[in-house]
Amino acid sequence: MQKRHIHKKALELLFYLTIILIFIMPIVSLVRMSFKLDNGYGLANYIELLQNPRAIQAIKNTVFISVGAAVISLVIGTAMAILVAYTNLKRKRFMEILVLAPFVIPSYIITLSWSRFTMTEGFLNRSLRLLALPAIDIYTLPGIVFILGICNAPLVYLITVNMLRKIPRDMEWAAKVSGYDTRETMLKINLKLVSPALVSGGILAFLAALDNFSVPAFLGISSGIPVLSTYIYEKAISFGPNSFHMAAALSIILAVIALSGTVLQSKLLTKNMGLESIKEDYSIRIHLPPKIRIYTEWGCISILTFINIAPIIVMIASSFLKTYGAKFRVENLSLENFKFVFTNRGVLQSIGNSILLAFITCFVCILIGTAVAYLKVRRNTKSVMLLESGASLTYAIPGIVLSLSMIFYWTMVPNVYGTIKILLIAYVTRYLILQIKGSTTAILAVDPALEEAAGASGIGRLKKWRKILAPLLLKQTLSSSFLIFVSALTEVTLSSMLSAAGTKTIGLTIFNLQQAGNYNLSMAMSATTVALLFFGYLGFFLLEKWQAINAAEKKRAFGFLYKSRGHAKNIKNCERSSYEHFDQEYN
Amino acid sequence: MSILIRNITKKYDNSTALNDVSLKIQDGAFIAILGPSGCGKTTLLRVIGGFVEPTTGSVQIGEEVCSSQTVHIPVEKRDLGMVFQSFALWPHMTVREHIEFPLDSRKNKLLSRREKKEAVDKSISCTGLEHLADRFPHELSGGQRQRVALARAIVSKPSLLLMDEPLSALDAELRVDMRKEIQDIHRLLGTTIIYVTHDQGEALAMADHVVIMKDGKIEQIGTPEEIYLYPNTEFVATFVSKCNMVKGIWNNDLFFVDNSEAVYSGEKIGRHFKERSLYPVRPEEFILSTDGKGMKGVVVNKQYSGREVHYSVKCGKDIFLVYDRMNVNSQINDEVVLIKEGK
Repeated sequence: MQKRHIHKKALELLFYLTIILIFIMPIVSLVRMSFKLDNGYGLANYIELLQNPRAIQAIKNTVFISVGAAVISLVIGTAMAILVAYTNLKRKRFMEILVLAPFVIPSYIITLSWSRFTMTEGFLNRSLRLLALPAIDIYTLPGIVFILGICNAPLVYLITVNMLRKIPRDMEWAAKVSGYDTRETMLKINLKLVSPALVSGGILAFLAALDNFSVPAFLGISSGIPVLSTYIYEKAISFGPNSFHMAAALSIILAVIALSGTVLQSKLLTKNMGLESIKEDYSIRIHLPPKIRIYTEWGCISILTFINIAPIIVMIASSFLKTYGAKFRVENLSLENFKFVFTNRGVLQSIGNSILLAFITCFVCILIGTAVAYLKVRRNTKSVMLLESGASLTYAIPGIVLSLSMIFYWTMVPNVYGTIKILLIAYVTRYLILQIKGSTTAILAVDPALEEAAGASGIGRLKKWRKILAPLLLKQTLSSSFLIFVSALTEVTLSSMLSAAGTKTIGLTIFNLQQAGNYNLSMAMSATTVALLFFGYLGFFLLEKWQAINAAEKKRAFGFLYKSRGHAKNIKNCERSSYEHFDQEYN
Repeated sequence: MSILIRNITKKYDNSTALNDVSLKIQDGAFIAILGPSGCGKTTLLRVIGGFVEPTTGSVQIGEEVCSSQTVHIPVEKRDLGMVFQSFALWPHMTVREHIEFPLDSRKNKLLSRREKKEAVDKSISCTGLEHLADRFPHELSGGQRQRVALARAIVSKPSLLLMDEPLSALDAELRVDMRKEIQDIHRLLGTTIIYVTHDQGEALAMADHVVIMKDGKIEQIGTPEEIYLYPNTEFVATFVSKCNMVKGIWNNDLFFVDNSEAVYSGEKIGRHFKERSLYPVRPEEFILSTDGKGMKGVVVNKQYSGREVHYSVKCGKDIFLVYDRMNVNSQINDEVVLIKEGK
């Protein structure tokens, strides 16, 4: 017994050491670097920064862009969430796809497509000129704000639409019985109840804009608009005197802004109204009169298509043109750009790298993330909680900051920096928390009694995982690893700093092509990536559908399991029961 | 206020929640709508409240037609209060704010500030919430929350009070206490109350008329005694008073029990049963005996429950439920004779 105890202690110590080495030390080395001077340590780097007008400008721009983009995301996300969750609009599924499109397509492709869409001699700006309106130029501060705003609107939408659906209809009805009409009820009750979600969504959009590197890099570097993330990048790759230390200090400033946002957001999340366990209610709450309904419906569809889909379609179409900006005529069409994408060794290698990295990252994350989640939920292991905090930290700090700390830290280990290993390490460090969260949700949904029953039936640990846990955890686990897969596949921030000659990724290749002025090639590559994502999502959708059919068959056989779970929730929350009751009365 | 419901039908995509329901409710009545889940009772309440528009039929509250093919007065313009099963309290408001809320609406804009304050104070005091006025819903117990919901519903003195299973979310003991409070409020205000429930005890104890519903239709309307003692249909008999259906032959008002020498008299038994050659016997009407004229059977189950003992007795193919209060102390597998008391 004693020996086993010592064994366990040693294992735990090793675990702590690993966490500290992988998740904590890189950030420590970044902090140290920011204070490091030629002789010893001090604040000189920060003082120098704060006297540098360009650095001040970068901080100001960053805050302005992030706040502005968050406001745009909030407006679009909230408006669409209310329309989809409450009104009698039709074609809601289609609208939802339109709203969520920027969530699926990487922001640098959206930027690229808008850059093509608003080309000086393009259709849009020519039409605007004819109408005597000012032309649109997205290589400006408002342009960056706008692109980031539409890129992050899905974040606000997703968090708000669920919360809106969870507001019980009884609460609305109680206000109506009290003498308030629908508009007053929405203002006095629903909007008040959903406000924590709005604030939280706004902060998330702010953080996402803060974290984004590719949009300001595509639009801001060439037009001389510095933000923190691109300024860090410029400093880090410039190899000037002291530039690494400057980059480190800038990173710390950016990380502090991001972390305070994250803390604020998690504070708000714990303070919400206890609506999280209530079932979503999809019934129509706001009946728009027929005429207004049709105008709203087609108005929304047109605007969303114009913002989120039209630029992508124009981009894909123009990637078939011989020269950038040529007219759409048969004699101008060619497959040259795609020929380059599918034959150039460097491009092919980058596609291969991205796919390989995405798969291995997913695999590693599933293994570690699920094990961690299991230990956390079932064993309540302390060391695991530390790992979770570590992994949250490396996700909360902006990607450019993480990649800089990776450089500082992993150059100390031979044969890592400059190879594909550094990218893999960076991706796992970055995305692990997503898998831990996903797997935790999955494990929480499995009743411990199911495992105890397996134990009581005399099944060994390995068989228990294979026969009982794996099938039950599969769906939820896979859906979070799919998110990791897509993120890793289209990632650009980390690879822009960490890639070497043979280890470029899809995102970096598009970035490089664009920076070098090869717009047609970068668009062809983007079109290919969009196609890749499209088939990826289609595959995932079909897989889910197939699973749903399987599950329906299982449900017939094991219906009691699902029922008992529903029952447990019911006891927890009596407020739910009236809705179930309502449903029963309906059906 | 009196309510007249005429031929209400409510259809959803592929189901009928209410099927040609008509009902007349007197001013100041306390009506319970009783039925199992899915019988349409909540839908009926929602139609009366105006939350749901009926497919056909009309609702008239007082002199005014509120819902019909051509008219639909929205909820907020109807003079009513409502208590929900889930309480439906707003998490961002205090108890006092909840109770002030209905008075601040457009409907009550004619009230002076003093009148409003008096109404709120009265409503708070008659539900015993004085010491809780500044609390938020999450700081209250279930019973306290229901009192807040009640206070909010009555503060504007509505002429109609709708209650949708208001006690179902409370635990058993509290439920019985709250019954008294709701009765007191009815007596105090004299408003018409429509009370939806699936609990027979609640309906019989509180209401002055009970409406039994099944499959979107009304099965029987009557006072609690009428419903309990003289059910019209098998459904009402089994749902409300757990009646046993004894088979036999009717000859005018005499019932000759099958395979037995027993004869029951039944002047007040409904036609429904006579047509089906059945006699409803409530479990407490049976006496367990060892001899005498009655149905012979075997005890197959016995459950002790304090005041009485519940026996299941198998006679032929049928199993009858017997509530015994006289401590006959039969055991399982005992052969017994079931005698109906009072002939």
